[in-house]
Amino acid sequence: MIKAENLWKIYRSGTIEVQALRGVSLTVNTGEFVSVMGPSGSGKSTLLNILGCLDRPDAGTYLLNGRDVSGLNADALAAVRNRHLGFVFQNYNLLPRLDARRNVELPLVYAGVDSRSRRELALKALSRVGLADRADHLPTQLSGGQNQRVAIARALVNRPAVLLADEPTGNLDTRTSAEIMDIFRALNREGVTIVLVTHEREIAVYARRILHFRDGMLQRDEPVE
Amino acid sequence: MNLWESFLVALDGIRANKLRSGLTTLGIVIGIAAVIAVVAIGQGGRALLLAEMEGLGTNMFAVHLDWRQDSLGELRTGREFTAQDLVAIRQVVPEISHLAPISARTAVVRGPRSQGAAQVVGTTGDYAEIRNLTVARGRFLAESDQAGGRRVAVLDGELAREIFGRQDPLGQRVTIHGVPVIVVGVLEEKKSLLDFLGMRYVYVPLRTWQYIFHEPAVIHQLEGATADREQVAEALQKTLAVLERRHDAPGRYIGSSLEQEMEIVGQATGIITLVVGAIAGISLFVGGVGVMNIMLVSVTERVREIGIRMVVGARRRDILVQFLIEAVVLCLLGGLVGVLIGVGGAMLIAKLANWPPLISWWTVLLAVVFSGAVGVFFGIYPANQAARLDPIEALRRE
Ligand SMILES: Nc1ncnc2c1ncn2[C@@H]1O[C@H](COP(=O)(O)OP(=O)(O)OP(=O)(O)O)[C@@H](O)[C@H]1O
Ligand SMILES: [Mg+2]
Repeated sequence: MIKAENLWKIYRSGTIEVQALRGVSLTVNTGEFVSVMGPSGSGKSTLLNILGCLDRPDAGTYLLNGRDVSGLNADALAAVRNRHLGFVFQNYNLLPRLDARRNVELPLVYAGVDSRSRRELALKALSRVGLADRADHLPTQLSGGQNQRVAIARALVNRPAVLLADEPTGNLDTRTSAEIMDIFRALNREGVTIVLVTHEREIAVYARRILHFRDGMLQRDEPVE
Repeated sequence: MNLWESFLVALDGIRANKLRSGLTTLGIVIGIAAVIAVVAIGQGGRALLLAEMEGLGTNMFAVHLDWRQDSLGELRTGREFTAQDLVAIRQVVPEISHLAPISARTAVVRGPRSQGAAQVVGTTGDYAEIRNLTVARGRFLAESDQAGGRRVAVLDGELAREIFGRQDPLGQRVTIHGVPVIVVGVLEEKKSLLDFLGMRYVYVPLRTWQYIFHEPAVIHQLEGATADREQVAEALQKTLAVLERRHDAPGRYIGSSLEQEMEIVGQATGIITLVVGAIAGISLFVGGVGVMNIMLVSVTERVREIGIRMVVGARRRDILVQFLIEAVVLCLLGGLVGVLIGVGGAMLIAKLANWPPLISWWTVLLAVVFSGAVGVFFGIYPANQAARLDPIEALRRE
């Protein structure tokens, strides 16, 4: 599913150079649930952005579903994100003026799905995260946990190959975090491939494998029993 | 994403900031409204003026004197036209259907009870044909009036009303410049645009005029008409040639035709339209800059939204189109409101000034299309700024 080899990412601002990724190689198979852990600044988000086709590596190759996407242009990457990837962020990133259903529909809008199928698929995705009865609520009318569930529904709605989550429980309390992680686990059981970035070990152990990062390098690949 | 979706999204963006959107389009609204109103009123006035002039007879022409001294230093006497000239012209210029000598002067016309100042026109029966005058009561001047130098007069409708009120003026006596004459005809009142000048007319036989004013043989000018509008220029040219030859005085006579004058009116209104257009263009430009400014603000405010849209698969083109449509819709709304206000304003002014507005569909169409074009022109830069954002950076910004 995901096969990255020798990824480098270097940020330059003036004379200062930050090597965010220093030759990272990893493989994530279809149906896997992988956590990425590491101290702040170790390059976790940088990696996830590259895996999520939001950014391009300065060196290395990245095969998604067997296709090399490291050389694609902006519009081609947008199409890949739209068809094959789903994102969940720490701060939900929902559009505040759209209700839950319309937020979930957003990827389908750019996929060119007609409005009736869009509504159907969005409602289905919302019921999958247990929010069928909140479809017409605005983000401000929902709790943090509920907003994150809307975001998960949005990430799911286009049936992506991989779900990428960058500290999805970072803004949530322990109980809500557990609820969210239960959803991720359930989705993974249904066959969704998940890569999740987190600080916390309790969250990371929901996965079946933990990748430990330090200073832009993959330090340890720890299986969870 | 298709255009309709983009349109809905853009509309949503405008709705989110109703007041700001409204204020932003104000420049466009005012620009378009001004153009529509001024063009409508101008076109109406022009049409009215041309119709009026047409009513005077488009196949008429006039020959008068160039009152500047000629090269020989010879002074004008007012006797440069002779009765024989008219006979000669009629013989040589077959295109002419009517030809009349005219002398005119302002004098007091006194009726039995009241009096008024009027332009006293000495002429012949042909004048009514040339000027398309319509007689309401009685008759116009006849050949015999002229030959006998009869003391008769024809009043225009307004003058008759002012002097006689409801009384029948026919057969009554009035004095012109102290000379008594009998009213034999009254013209129809003309509801004329030019009537605000308030000029009143009384027509007498030319010989009577010369008697009244003690100016024997004086003829101020000639007026003629052709059967056909196309013959006017030729007839005028031939007439001038005859006069110059008979009096051996090249350059002394000048001709003019209504056709020429209508052309001048047409040109003048064209220039006015051009000036108004330029002013409107400037105001639309200013309006467009306003829209561009607010679109740039809107893009900065919505960087996060743009980032989110890009994350879930919006291509640069989708973002570009979204913001471009927003700018165009903003301008089109401004344009439409402007058209409504402009049309309303034109009708209001027209009603107050008793002036028919002329609102042509192409003016409206042009205004709307133009405001849309302003939207494209001034929207492309902000929209491009939005489309060029990097999704990660966009998400990171607050
Ligand atoms: N746009 C950028 N410009 C310059 N440096 C950057 C940029 N993005 C990231 N970095 C640097 O790259 C390094 C890795 O950043 P990254 O965001 O991947 O860390 P992280 O592991 O996600 O940290 P955190 O746990 O705090 O989210 C950091 O040192 C960061 O300062
Ligand atoms: Mg991070």
